[in-house]
Amino acid sequence: MKPDRVLGVLLMLLAVGYGLEALSLEAEYLADPLGPKAFPLLLATVLFGLSLLLVLFPGPGPWPGFLAWRQQALAVVSFVLYAYALAPLGFVLASGLEIGVLARILGTSWVKGLFAGFAFALVLHLLFVFGLGIPLPLGSWWPG
Amino acid sequence: MDVLTQLAHGFSIALTPLNLGLAFAGAFLGTLIGALPGIGPVNGVAILIPIAYALKLPPESALILLAGVYYGAEYGGRISSILLNVPGDAGAVITTLDGYPMAQKGKAGEALALSALSSFIGGTLSVIGLTLFAPLLAQWAIRFGPAEYFALMVFAFTTLSSLAGKSPVKALASSVFGLMLATVGLDPGSGVPRFTFGQLKLYDGVDFLIVAIGLFAISEVLVLMEQTFLGRAAAIRVETTLVSLKTFLASLWSILRGAAIGFFIGVLPGAGASIASAIAYTTEKRLVDREGTFGQGDPRGVAAPEAANNAASGGAMVPMLTLGVPGSGTTAVLLGALMMFNVTPGPLIFQNRPEVVWGLIASMYIGNLMLLVLNLPLVGVFARILTIPRWFLVPAIAALSFVGVYAVNNSAFDLLFMTGIGVWGYLMRKFGFPLAPMILGLVLGRLMEVNLRRALAISGGDWTILFSSPIAKVLWVLAALSLLFPWLVGRLAKRR
Repeated sequence: MKPDRVLGVLLMLLAVGYGLEALSLEAEYLADPLGPKAFPLLLATVLFGLSLLLVLFPGPGPWPGFLAWRQQALAVVSFVLYAYALAPLGFVLASGLEIGVLARILGTSWVKGLFAGFAFALVLHLLFVFGLGIPLPLGSWWPG
Repeated sequence: MDVLTQLAHGFSIALTPLNLGLAFAGAFLGTLIGALPGIGPVNGVAILIPIAYALKLPPESALILLAGVYYGAEYGGRISSILLNVPGDAGAVITTLDGYPMAQKGKAGEALALSALSSFIGGTLSVIGLTLFAPLLAQWAIRFGPAEYFALMVFAFTTLSSLAGKSPVKALASSVFGLMLATVGLDPGSGVPRFTFGQLKLYDGVDFLIVAIGLFAISEVLVLMEQTFLGRAAAIRVETTLVSLKTFLASLWSILRGAAIGFFIGVLPGAGASIASAIAYTTEKRLVDREGTFGQGDPRGVAAPEAANNAASGGAMVPMLTLGVPGSGTTAVLLGALMMFNVTPGPLIFQNRPEVVWGLIASMYIGNLMLLVLNLPLVGVFARILTIPRWFLVPAIAALSFVGVYAVNNSAFDLLFMTGIGVWGYLMRKFGFPLAPMILGLVLGRLMEVNLRRALAISGGDWTILFSSPIAKVLWVLAALSLLFPWLVGRLAKRR
């Protein structure tokens, strides 16, 4: 199965879902002849047409390789954890750990990565807070 | 004369200490971002928007900074092209063809100096072009009604899509993704919430900034994780950056031709620095390559594309500012940034917000001069930056993206949304969907819908109004031609 065929089917589903949601839109009064659903319906139609073209005339391309998917998945998980950890841990602690983890995923040692991470996070924090006057979270553990 | 008075007014804005400092910061950061392989101008501009926003800069100052990053990156891209044979960004790919051979012959310093001068001449000539050409285009475009605007935006999408990627179908689908994302939120006409799934957070629409950073910077982080090789300039030292007057004069016509080609290609929607430099290079090769020295370290092969890619970035500002319709990913991001600052580019901007346009244009003269100074004596510093290891560079890009997005709303939800968009952008890239059309769609979506609905309100629901005026007809024909263009080129290439 060529990848473009699969993508075409997925995009077709997206177009149909988006189009159905658009059809359900109703305005209480109409300020213009088109109303809220015409433009989205136009987009759904265009996307449907394009996905049909992908299914009928798929490109030759083989499936792309995902050689680093483990590292990438770990990185994405760390992004999610970072989003939740930022406010309670504070910018410097959370970012230092995050950079250290990413650096480790990229193959450097924990010590090197964490050292560079905390140094960079501290520089960024000082730059933002004192240089630019943009507040960043200190973390709930920070006294005061 | 009027232009000169306005320009003088612009200089009075650009020469304030804050704006001079921001032009310098933009030029410096732009060179840095351009020099580092992996982060190009679009990532750099996207990452800096939240900082400019959180600093509560006036719009002209923010634009001076962000535009400085944009055209500065075209200066920086050549450094790693010449030293490492790895282009620093897309506009500098062609510079590797003769730049790296020159470096191998021990002429790295000469190549860097000549390309800095070419960049300066190309950049400055295109700002002159912008100064003269933009007000004229704005005057002409004032007559555009909603139908013409709608056709113009369709034209921008079709040209960008036919040039941006290998598959025009995928590029158009990418534009539709952006347009669809732009429909999220309260409908501008009736106030009905659309595609918000009951989430109050989405009533104002998706945040342009989060999408831009996620789409470009976070997806870039994921792409960089799977590249096994990233050039490192550990052993390269650049002692002297001087070019002899003789070499410079021998390349002068190539520079001027490259600048002219670059400017006009930059003005066209969809075609940016990378296409401009490629066309400038092939033109020079046809015109002046009598001894077959192109590709083996001919200085003219460095000068022409470098003049062209810098001129293209100035040219690309013309449609963005005067029509409000950007022609490339980076100018789309710049336009989105301007909208965040409540400035709507378009033909009226010269009357309504002269301080923004003329301040920007004046700052571009100054910025190019700063870039020349930065790039001649300090090129060794930037060359050393290329030795930053990847295990630090990639996490640093991620951290900068996070801190910027967080600084705007202090919201963990924004960071999660950005991560999601980053994964989506990464998958798009893996499957051959270009990212630039999507960001253009997001930026133009509202405007496109509003103009369509206005046009049909004028005609009372009659769709033929979209094709009624001569300007609209021309734009529709151009849009159709631009879609057929890759197919026609393919046919011609097969016949040979």
